[in-house]
Amino acid sequence: MGNTSRFGTAQFLFALSVGILVAVVAVPMLLIFFNAFWVNGHFNIADVIRVLRQGETYKALLNSLFLSSGVTVTGTLVGTFFAWLVTRTDLPFKRTMKLLFLVPFMLPAFIGALAWKMLLSPRAGYINRLFMDIFGFDGPIFDIYSYAGIILVETMYLFPFVFIQVSGALERMDPTLEESARISGADLFTITRKITIPLVLPSILSGALLIMLYSMAHFGTVAVLGAETGIYNIPTLIYEKIHQSAGSFDSIRTATVLATVLVIAAAFILWLQNRVLSQGRYQIIAGKSFRPSELKLRGWRVPMFVFCMFYIALTIVLPTATIFMVGGLKTYGLPFVSENMTWNNYKYILFEWDLTRDAIWNSVSLGLIAALVTMFAGVIISYVIVKMKVRGKGFLEFLGMLPFSVPGSVIALGVILAWSGKFGINLYNTVWIILVAYVARYMAFSLKANSAALEQVHDSLVEAARASGATMWQALKDIVIPLVRPGMMAAFFLIFLPALRELTVSVLLYGPTTRTIGVAIYTLNEDGETVYSAALAGIALVIIVTGEILIKRLVAGKNNG
Amino acid sequence: MRLLRKIVSVCALAVVSGVLPSGVCAQEQKLFVYTSMKESMLNDIRISFSKKHPGIKLDYQSAGAGKLMAKIAAERESGKILADVLWTSEVPDFYHLKEQGLLLPYISAEVAAIRNPLPDYDGSFTAVRLGTLGIAYNTRFIKEAPRTWDDLKKPAFKGAFGIANPALSGTAYMSVAALSKTFGWGFFENLRANGAKMGKGSGQVIDDTASGDLVASLAVDYITLDKIKKGATLALVYPPEMLVIPSPIAIFKNSPNVEAAKKFIDFMLSKEGQTIVAAQGTLPVRPDVKLLEIYNLPSVEDAVKRAMQIDYKQFMKEKEGNVKKFTEIMQK
Repeated sequence: MGNTSRFGTAQFLFALSVGILVAVVAVPMLLIFFNAFWVNGHFNIADVIRVLRQGETYKALLNSLFLSSGVTVTGTLVGTFFAWLVTRTDLPFKRTMKLLFLVPFMLPAFIGALAWKMLLSPRAGYINRLFMDIFGFDGPIFDIYSYAGIILVETMYLFPFVFIQVSGALERMDPTLEESARISGADLFTITRKITIPLVLPSILSGALLIMLYSMAHFGTVAVLGAETGIYNIPTLIYEKIHQSAGSFDSIRTATVLATVLVIAAAFILWLQNRVLSQGRYQIIAGKSFRPSELKLRGWRVPMFVFCMFYIALTIVLPTATIFMVGGLKTYGLPFVSENMTWNNYKYILFEWDLTRDAIWNSVSLGLIAALVTMFAGVIISYVIVKMKVRGKGFLEFLGMLPFSVPGSVIALGVILAWSGKFGINLYNTVWIILVAYVARYMAFSLKANSAALEQVHDSLVEAARASGATMWQALKDIVIPLVRPGMMAAFFLIFLPALRELTVSVLLYGPTTRTIGVAIYTLNEDGETVYSAALAGIALVIIVTGEILIKRLVAGKNNG
Repeated sequence: MRLLRKIVSVCALAVVSGVLPSGVCAQEQKLFVYTSMKESMLNDIRISFSKKHPGIKLDYQSAGAGKLMAKIAAERESGKILADVLWTSEVPDFYHLKEQGLLLPYISAEVAAIRNPLPDYDGSFTAVRLGTLGIAYNTRFIKEAPRTWDDLKKPAFKGAFGIANPALSGTAYMSVAALSKTFGWGFFENLRANGAKMGKGSGQVIDDTASGDLVASLAVDYITLDKIKKGATLALVYPPEMLVIPSPIAIFKNSPNVEAAKKFIDFMLSKEGQTIVAAQGTLPVRPDVKLLEIYNLPSVEDAVKRAMQIDYKQFMKEKEGNVKKFTEIMQK
């Protein structure tokens, strides 16, 4: 029979998957650990400890932990509260509200940070000035260049992690549990405490851990708001190390140690998440769709609605409007009156400046190619993992999920170590090095989406095809790929959209002609070209939001048709 | 499936049409400049240079001198310096690169017409601009213009005077070194006692001054004047002891585009190039180029006379120590 050919195809697919993962994931990661612990060929833990005990690294580590814990707490509270409000109460316009609360997910956090810097920097922020100039306050009402400022801004953009998880859980929750408690005489407080909270706790926790994971590895907000007052976290310190100390190996080594610490912390969080999710006693959420009972807000209905609208206006409308307004100023610091406004910045950014055209082109093509490569590689690898019985596939799975627990700055660092000429291939200063990093970073997204889709394809379909004489390739092409198409599509967009606004990775890898949109905005701001950076950020927001909406339409249209 | 196919073909098209040609066909000559000059100056230079030499495609990376040097160091590690030409204000870097034999000496025919501020001149690098730094202040907050460096210790500047980070900015390093040589480190200790801050790049402290986050800063001439032209409520003043910092330009020895690089240096030193430099609100190196009156800059001769003494080689040797000392003082 076709046994030999099947063996051949399987071997080929397996080898290909391993090859891709080793090249883009394993080698860079190993190099980081190697550089962190080996000095001149010797294992050297003392040096690692020396680096960790240096004031700045130690402080950056504490800052990372403190900031991410803070964001986790506030983000979880905000996310849970709004999730409860839109699923379990009779809040007006609930469906619209639910969509609105997802908007922050679309917006890049570092653009938000830029906007809040404009609004709340201690002396010049528009809100602070309003209070000082008009209401005669002595000092600023809020200083955004602080721990509290960073936590607030990150919370605004990260709370949807919890919001999505919790509102999903609340919607799927079996309401009879609460009803039986009520019938048995429990009051609302007791029901909430004894029934509702334990039921949604796993969702809250897993959302919270996602926030923590993301915030700990987050570059943009801390870079924009923290540098003024010397607040660093690990990603921003890695950036400083790589960009300031003339690229000496010592600074790269320090960066690898920092990276190692970050990886360990992230791995711990993921382990914790797995434990939380696998705890059986919480799994009482039924998969069936019930209509949950709604709490009547009565007198609170209107105030709560106003509060939600106020929150949305404050966290979405105000920063976005600020970005567009500042982008239209002749120079930063002028008041918003018509004689100070101009279209020239937008015109310049869009039509005259090579840098921005390069940046938009780079981001779009990098996003497309990375999404495409990762989508196909993801299908192959998840096919091997889910469907094939090959030895060593556990290792494959581990390699593929590794980047998920590895923060962007660490991937970038690994890619620098692996692909800048030391091993014969030099991609430094080209777009390809960013592409390799994107593929590594987003592989986990693709594997998740694809393996979920593949698990639903029953083995018997392929077996039937094979029994009817199809080759392995034919079976894949005609049966499997068409069936997992939704998974592949999902993977494509899950990768393309974040890649479009990516900053953490590309800020460490960009060369003179390979800036991405994120890097262009960030460096313009760093160079003191605030109005240009705002104009470009405005344009980027338009591109990103249009992209999201178009894609949602496209996907929804396909699914319905 | 159709959508998927569409995506694939769009991507394939993107790859074929965009990424490949940029690498494959390189018929016109290319020139890559790493420079710490800002966009406002570079754009005008590019337009005029392209008119004069249509066969050369001029491209540049504009960033702080510190970042550029880090980039160059990383590129050397990986084997190839991408830049053909370096143009910053961090003079010690040039002495350093010359010592390491990385620069290609070139004495342009135009050199005879310039006022050369650099000792031991051998063509390895040539000053194309005399940058000046003064005190930029926001006229919304400061009503009485500072006259001397010591005025910065006054309460009007409390907590809101900024100096760019010397690790990032070449002009900031040269200024910090020159000021500390002239007035001693006590000068910065006093400023710090009055709440002075260390900012990021040289452009950013000025933008922060324009916005009012700072009331004044140690500021580069043309960046400040450009913002004033656009309507910022700023003014620029020079104390009697002036900071005059040459911005040299140099060709990398391994550049594959030496001829284009030489043409660029010729252009920058020509009357035409120097007129562009002067038009941006900074001092040219050619005394025969007229300064624009609107900027109210001191003449080249006057500036050189008033300039604080700079020992370039000394500054090169002391760089690491100076930056560390300054950072320590400012973070106390």
